[in-house]
Amino acid sequence: MFTKNGPNEDVKRTLSMLDVRRKLIDDTPAKELPKTYAVNQLADALHPGFIKATIKEIKPCSKNSKVITLSAKKFPYFRAGQYVTISVKINGKVVTRPYSIMSSPNDALMGKLELGVQTAGYVSTYLTTQAKVGETVLVSEPIGDFHHDSIRDEDTIYALAGGSGITPFVSMIKAIIEGSENFKLVILYGVKSKADLMLDITKIKDDRIKIIPVYSDEKVEGAENGFLTKELIKKYLPEKASIFMCGANLMYQFVKKELAALQFDLHQIRSETNCAVDQKIDNPREFNLIVHMRDEVYQIKAKENESLLVAMERAGLAAPSRCRGGHCGFCHSRLIKGSYVAPKEYEHRRLADFKFKYIHPCSTYPSSDMEIDVPPVDELKEF
Amino acid sequence: MKKNYDVIVIGAGNGGLAAALAVLNKGKTCLVLEKHNLPGGFATSFVRGRFEFEASLHEFNGIGTKEEPGSCGVLFNALGVSDKIDWVPLHEAYRLISLEENIDVTVPLGKEKVIALGDKLCEGGSKYMKDFLELAGSISDAMTYLGECHGKPDPNVMKTKYINYMTTCSYSFKEVMDKLNYPSIIRKVLTGYWSYLGAKEDDMSFVHLANMINSYFTKGACVPTLRSHGLSLAFEERIHELGGDIYFNSKVAKILTDETGHVSGVKLVNGQEYYTRHVIANCSPHNVFSTMLDKKAIPERALKLTNYRKFAGRGFTVFLGLNKSPKELGINEHSYFIYSSSDNIKVYKEMGKLPHTAGQATVCLNNALPDCSPKGTTILYITTLFTEDAWSKVSEKDYVKMKNQMAEGLIKQFEDALHINLHDHIEELAIASPVTYAHYCLHPQGVIYGYYSQYNDGLMYRIQMVNEDAYVPGLRIGGGYGERLDGFPSSYKSGANEGARTLGDIAKEGK
Ligand SMILES: Cc1cc2nc3c(=O)[nH]c(=O)nc-3n(C[C@H](O)[C@H](O)[C@H](O)COP(=O)(O)OP(=O)(O)OC[C@H]3O[C@@H](n4cnc5c(N)ncnc54)[C@H](O)[C@@H]3O)c2cc1C
Ligand code: FES
Repeated sequence: MFTKNGPNEDVKRTLSMLDVRRKLIDDTPAKELPKTYAVNQLADALHPGFIKATIKEIKPCSKNSKVITLSAKKFPYFRAGQYVTISVKINGKVVTRPYSIMSSPNDALMGKLELGVQTAGYVSTYLTTQAKVGETVLVSEPIGDFHHDSIRDEDTIYALAGGSGITPFVSMIKAIIEGSENFKLVILYGVKSKADLMLDITKIKDDRIKIIPVYSDEKVEGAENGFLTKELIKKYLPEKASIFMCGANLMYQFVKKELAALQFDLHQIRSETNCAVDQKIDNPREFNLIVHMRDEVYQIKAKENESLLVAMERAGLAAPSRCRGGHCGFCHSRLIKGSYVAPKEYEHRRLADFKFKYIHPCSTYPSSDMEIDVPPVDELKEF
Repeated sequence: MKKNYDVIVIGAGNGGLAAALAVLNKGKTCLVLEKHNLPGGFATSFVRGRFEFEASLHEFNGIGTKEEPGSCGVLFNALGVSDKIDWVPLHEAYRLISLEENIDVTVPLGKEKVIALGDKLCEGGSKYMKDFLELAGSISDAMTYLGECHGKPDPNVMKTKYINYMTTCSYSFKEVMDKLNYPSIIRKVLTGYWSYLGAKEDDMSFVHLANMINSYFTKGACVPTLRSHGLSLAFEERIHELGGDIYFNSKVAKILTDETGHVSGVKLVNGQEYYTRHVIANCSPHNVFSTMLDKKAIPERALKLTNYRKFAGRGFTVFLGLNKSPKELGINEHSYFIYSSSDNIKVYKEMGKLPHTAGQATVCLNNALPDCSPKGTTILYITTLFTEDAWSKVSEKDYVKMKNQMAEGLIKQFEDALHINLHDHIEELAIASPVTYAHYCLHPQGVIYGYYSQYNDGLMYRIQMVNEDAYVPGLRIGGGYGERLDGFPSSYKSGANEGARTLGDIAKEGK
């Protein structure tokens, strides 16, 4: 038997414990409790969910793209390379798309966010041709891990950019110059022609930043010509660098082959994920889709070649949308009934999701009538 | 459209999910409202590149085996989730490295093995190990008995059969261990788990830690094959099977009360209302009694109790996806405790500072689940605590820098302790700070361990006063802030207990 002060004394102490606690509580003042805490406020500042912003300026960027400047009281500080989603109302329906931020982290704190938008696709074309200055849009908090990290990455990023894939690197350039990020950047920038450049290279004079334009459709003196081949990649390869890649899927396929030929381990290459696109199906079938959102039930149509998310947006539902490429998990939804196709290139679900039948509607295509349970995003409804 | 429920649960953390199943299993209607888009709270996972990281769980104690279920295994059977979950048992308790004293000991699981280890540590060591496990075992038995008699024990049985419990219950771990006066190495090796409870030994009650050490050493621990996300989805599936509703992206702003002060419903941030006379909150009482209830519905005594309590540790975790196998890296164990010193009072104090490298609890998941990441890769996560609100002074601009500086120190500490290199192999990295935990679960200051296990607010005090501590009629609070303190088994049990108490409240109303 254990005893410290003799069994009687020890037991007595044990029996009096609760009275001691009662008294301690009694003696505590009934002060009002804090409504929030500094750490929680910082969490809210970094993760406000959605922010209402206005389009402040739309100006040409390259031949085929525009810079959309958004303004709000403040945007969260972010890590250069991250993206936001923006939701706009087109024909009375809210649609959402992700765009890399092109402005700097310090600008965000001042309430300015720039997106470089190429005229291509439904929402982008709306933004570059129809959207008006003064229009209200809904912007998400900055997200994604396509950014430099002092622990994970080398001190130099070797960026392989194609077309509008330059935008996250533009933000990095600005961040390096203003001092909010600290690393070196070598960019191999593939575009069709000089007129397609989304930034003025001549204006960037900083030892830490080197940009090599590569024109595919035009020969320019003193510039590289062609595609991002292994020869070119090797020619400008820094001694020690982390490779970041951003561009269209076709470019990824091409560059990955080149990198593999150079004996790179492709797992160590970081590429920004693209949105899931419509499947190529001749005469796509149309299915019935039942969507549960809390206690609401909607019966809508879904085309075989379009993602379930697109179907929900077409029907005007407040469906969750962030990366639209299957990897952020924001649209995580429960499958109740039906069969579907989930292309491998967008497959980033958690293991348990397969066992318990959860899907990412942004990158899931129906192959029968379906019934799903989706977490609604109220902000889209109220917007 | 259903708007009325017998019970509404706020939060789908472990406590909330278990509470929902406890009432659904008895035929009540129940709605669970969760702020996040997933169930589980901390019990979740996330994907980065080719890795799926476990968000919280290091090891789960109390599941036991199919044939011989532990206390949580029994609970999972009763809730109807056992068949949905597969477990893998762990082989060792921990490798304990104490830098100041150059201690590096791997502690096995299993009573006989732990006892055998004693002699390797010092002369006659096995006798002390045996002695301790007997004492701790008798305390665990007493606690089981207390549980079985629903807090109304026979005083004579307590004073005879469970006398060790009665003589130790009011003392801290330090007070009892000082008196036992074991050789110092034995005491140090036995105390490795202290940081799982996040309390230093002069605050932490002896029976709490002793019971925990005994359960781990003699009953073992395990991990689920599909991460804790698999646990949470198993619970959600069961909720649907029993006809319950669970809504995500549904943050509760207010708990509604009627003119008598009884709970009458809840209101979401979007303004939608759902009605019930019984709410089980799986969130912190600090949130409930500050913003969620109307001022006039907050009893004075609830404010006193809540003010009296102290927050436990705020969390910090570094998740690493490494591009070499554990063998290639030289990581051979599943779980590590690395402390700057064996003096946990000192370590606890150091953990108040930002940054610190006072200590870490680290897990290599592949050494429990070899296939948890692609061949030739490793998942490693390093967790530590902040014993003070050290992140409150960090600005939005400095946040990432601070996070990385803190993580860098922990990674280096692990590398130095094991004499290995991680830096050159980091393919994926994610860092969760108190700010991250505050964001995902809304807990004040990013606390992950509920209320601090201090002397008079320890496990046995809370359990015995659990009915007394409930002040708002129709409102019960379960989970990591509940009577069993934090941890997977505790939060599930606390939730299920609050579910059972709510069933009692409902039955009383019927009369
Ligand atoms: C890094 C880490 C490692 C850990 N390791 C272990 C371990 O190895 N073993 C172990 O046993 N335990 C461990 N734990 C502890 C364990 O994870 C927790 O104790 C347990 O998960 C807490 O469960 P809970 O019921 O308190 O719910 P929580 O996980 O705290 O969840 C609360 C839920 O309520 C929701 N919520 C809050 N407010 C609202 C609102 N107003 N409206 C709607 N929803 C709301 C939140 O979004 C959240 O989902 C660890 C924890 C962490 C963070
Ligand atoms: S929106 Fe990111 S996974 Fe679907």
